[in-house]
Amino acid sequence: MEPEYSIGMSNRDNRKADILQGTLDVMVLQMLNALGPLHGYAVAARLEQISSGALRLNMGTLYPSLMRLEQRGFIRGDWDVTENNRKARFYAITAAGRRQLTRQKDEWDRTVSIMRAVLREQD
Amino acid sequence: MDALREWWRRLLGTLTRRRHDQDIEAEMQAHLELAAEEGRRRGLSSEQAERAARLQVGGLSQAMEAMRDQRGLPWLDELSRDIRHALRSLRRTPLFTAIALLTLGLGIGANTAIFSIVNAVILRPLPYSNPGRLMNLTAEFSAVGRTEDTLSIPEYLEFRRMNQSFQTLGAYTTGADVYTTGEVNLLAGDRPLRARSISVDRQLLDAIGVQPAQGRLFNDQEISFETRGLAAPVAILSHELWQAAFGGQPLVGGSVKIDGRPHEIVGIMPPATDLMDNRTEVWLPLGFHREIGRNRSMHVLHIAGRLKDGVTEDSAQAELNALLENWGERAGVSGHVPKSHPERTAEHTLRLRPMHAAVVGTAGRSVWILQVAVGLVLLIGCANLANLLIARTESRRREFAVRTALGAGRTRLMRQTLTEALILSVGGGMLGIWLAAAAVHAIVLAYPTSVPRISGISIDVSVLLFALAISVVTGVLFGLAPIAQKQTNDLMTALKQGGERSNSSGGRHHVRSLLVVAEVAMAVMLVVGAGLLIRTVYNLNSVNTGFDRSRLVTFSITLPEPYDPDTRAPAYQRLVDKLRAAPGIQNAAIMSGLPPDRRPTPANTAIENYTNADGRPIELIDYYQAVIGDYFATMGIPLVAGRAFEPGDSSSSGRFVVVNETLANRIWKGQNPIGQRIRPALGVFGFANGPWHTVIGVAKDVKQGGVENQTGSEVYVSLDQIGLAPPTMNVVLRTTLTPATLSQSLQRLVSEVDPAVPIVRLRDMDSVFAESIRRPRLLTTLLGGFACLALLLATIGTYGVLSYIVAERRHDIGVRIALGAGRSSVFAMVMKQGMQLTVAGVVVGVIGALGLNQLIASMLFGVEPTDATTVAAVSATITLAAAIACWLPAWRASRLDPMVLLKHD
Repeated sequence: MEPEYSIGMSNRDNRKADILQGTLDVMVLQMLNALGPLHGYAVAARLEQISSGALRLNMGTLYPSLMRLEQRGFIRGDWDVTENNRKARFYAITAAGRRQLTRQKDEWDRTVSIMRAVLREQD
Repeated sequence: MDALREWWRRLLGTLTRRRHDQDIEAEMQAHLELAAEEGRRRGLSSEQAERAARLQVGGLSQAMEAMRDQRGLPWLDELSRDIRHALRSLRRTPLFTAIALLTLGLGIGANTAIFSIVNAVILRPLPYSNPGRLMNLTAEFSAVGRTEDTLSIPEYLEFRRMNQSFQTLGAYTTGADVYTTGEVNLLAGDRPLRARSISVDRQLLDAIGVQPAQGRLFNDQEISFETRGLAAPVAILSHELWQAAFGGQPLVGGSVKIDGRPHEIVGIMPPATDLMDNRTEVWLPLGFHREIGRNRSMHVLHIAGRLKDGVTEDSAQAELNALLENWGERAGVSGHVPKSHPERTAEHTLRLRPMHAAVVGTAGRSVWILQVAVGLVLLIGCANLANLLIARTESRRREFAVRTALGAGRTRLMRQTLTEALILSVGGGMLGIWLAAAAVHAIVLAYPTSVPRISGISIDVSVLLFALAISVVTGVLFGLAPIAQKQTNDLMTALKQGGERSNSSGGRHHVRSLLVVAEVAMAVMLVVGAGLLIRTVYNLNSVNTGFDRSRLVTFSITLPEPYDPDTRAPAYQRLVDKLRAAPGIQNAAIMSGLPPDRRPTPANTAIENYTNADGRPIELIDYYQAVIGDYFATMGIPLVAGRAFEPGDSSSSGRFVVVNETLANRIWKGQNPIGQRIRPALGVFGFANGPWHTVIGVAKDVKQGGVENQTGSEVYVSLDQIGLAPPTMNVVLRTTLTPATLSQSLQRLVSEVDPAVPIVRLRDMDSVFAESIRRPRLLTTLLGGFACLALLLATIGTYGVLSYIVAERRHDIGVRIALGAGRSSVFAMVMKQGMQLTVAGVVVGVIGALGLNQLIASMLFGVEPTDATTVAAVSATITLAAAIACWLPAWRASRLDPMVLLKHD
């Protein structure tokens, strides 16, 4: 059984939350960049799918992240209808968002390669 | 950058609530439904699908809360929620809120008002460039208790020549000298006015660094110490006078009649230009008669100057001290020179003082004392409010318990209490500012000259900041009281075995009892201080001034150009005769100096058959009084030997003087002063020294230099005999009529002598006297008011706490009564508890008062700071007041019906 990562957030645990928030924000941007405008549920569903069920987002984590990205101008949200004629709020990445995504990707690559190099050493 | 943007959106989110709750809820509701649909697709029933969805994606309400935190600024949201909740709960208890606001309003208002005085009088720098460099030079006659006195002209010129510390040194004269009253008659068009004047030399204007707004300053030719009698006919007007009297019309180069003489207006000063708080309207050039300009013992000039850059006050004083060691040698003069250690009455020394200190004078200390006093009043008010707040918190115990059960943290509840306290204190603060503005306005109206620099008083930015600061500090202080109470109780509970004690434990009241003790102590300190000052004013008032103050009316008049000394005397004589003949006036006289507060006119006087300590046949006489008419009888000054002047004296060939007791004892101890001869130094009035005069009488001492100072030696000369008179004289009338009733007839009588001369400062002698002690009176009035307020607040506080204790213990008391305790023993028990607190407070207060009173020691007269009578009286009064405060709760306690109590609980 693979460990499950349920990214829940406590209102009081601020510092750890920042790191988790940052990670989630990048993942959301990546989804919206790769797949075009999506509504919240779709983003969560896709993330769960890609991670083979490891990432299970609850609303209390996902939607603040979407609001934060919107407040920073990286995505823009508008109400629209789904294919099943349901009203939903769709989010699309902006130019600034794309730039941010590129920056974050580069940073992650760097972090990962450093960690790899360091952790390899221990073996 | 992005973070900033986020922060900005969040701020907007708090203020404008973008993306309303409904919108966000709808989005998340949709999310839930999609998740439920997923479940249904996988085969679950509708119900199961919904439940699974909720479990998987989390609850709606928690998500909403997370969203709200992201949308706004959580701390701001919480703050606004706290404030709204506090306002609601305050509204629910209007009586408490009203009392709190009123107490705070009064306390903060009083503090703000006094601080605005502190600000205007002490903190505000003088309105000149680099005012810290300005210093005043004063003379000190320690034997007669005159400090901050004037210098003679030769001294001034010598110091100016010899010193190295000053960049510029200048001189000025204002009123209360023999020559000037500090006011001049001014003709604006055809309107005669009385304007406040100052006479300066060019160097003084340079020292303070003032530049005229129009025209020019005086030049050196216009200043003279060698005139034939009058100063140069030029003047500079103040901006305010120019606007008010001349309508701001172009005036420079024009001519205005001042004291009957046309003066050329050479300049107009910028607005708010003044020197030493003189409220100057007309600036005149210094001009002294040659006789005075060369006279070492005629002290007529005030000196002020600007230090050179880099010279400190200490080094300037050190230089002065060095000069004082051998002034005579350095200046190449002998005679009346300043010394570093004056020994005898005649001698004086010189002192430097920063100009700011010279302007503020002793008022500075009084103002600080008031600030401390009013601070104590506020602290007492805070103690009362703290008690009220604790009681309120206790009564809301259930509400807090429920909220804690629902998840509110303890800090959150404390924050709630603190928010309420701060709202009250800021609200009270705003009320206080409004009250302070009114109070300041009233003080300035009622006592315009009692405090220096008071004309500049206003509620400005620094005063508002002060009000805000003490509002916040006050709020925090009494807002923390319930928390402190709780902490103390928890501590006490933890220290004892087991959990909750019954309601009757005294431990629950630690903080409250402490507050009562503190309140009473502070009230005691204030009331003792006020008591000492009240006794001081009473003592000052009862000082025997040496003349009969009752039924005396006085005014002053000036006979300027074209009068000469020899035409003035007959004019004054005519006036005295008319006044004596007038209905309602028993007696009248005219004199040069108005007791009880005159500037000394020290002058070396030749005395026959006498040698002083230096072996010379002269002595320095402190005061000269020139009189016309029956002065001693009118003033009610008894003669201890010989006789007063009589009308027949002017026609006799001999010349006569009267001396006072102090002089007789100093010069002719053991001998008979009658028949001795002296040569009065008539130069003090601007006349040539006269021939030998014979002493015909010795008068009882009259207070000259203020009621709290010793009397100096005094010589009375009769101008009827001499036939000359100085320009300004004081008129005194013995009458049963009031100044108001007399005003018109007096003006008419004066106009019969000269129609162009106005009557100035018409008042009765009692108000002259009151004015001479107006500073202690104002301080005492204010301090007395604060002490009463403190006493009232402390009494109310004691009553409140005791009532509360009784209410808390009523169950316990009911049991006692049911078990057979008499009502009187219950009464005694409660009274004892209350009085224990009071006595503790009184003891602490007395100790504190004895320490604090050292601060006011210098202002007391006729009473010691450790005066036992005052302390005892105050202690008794406060104990009595507290006993009254305790009486009602104790009585109520004794009247409790145990059946009612026990049934209810």
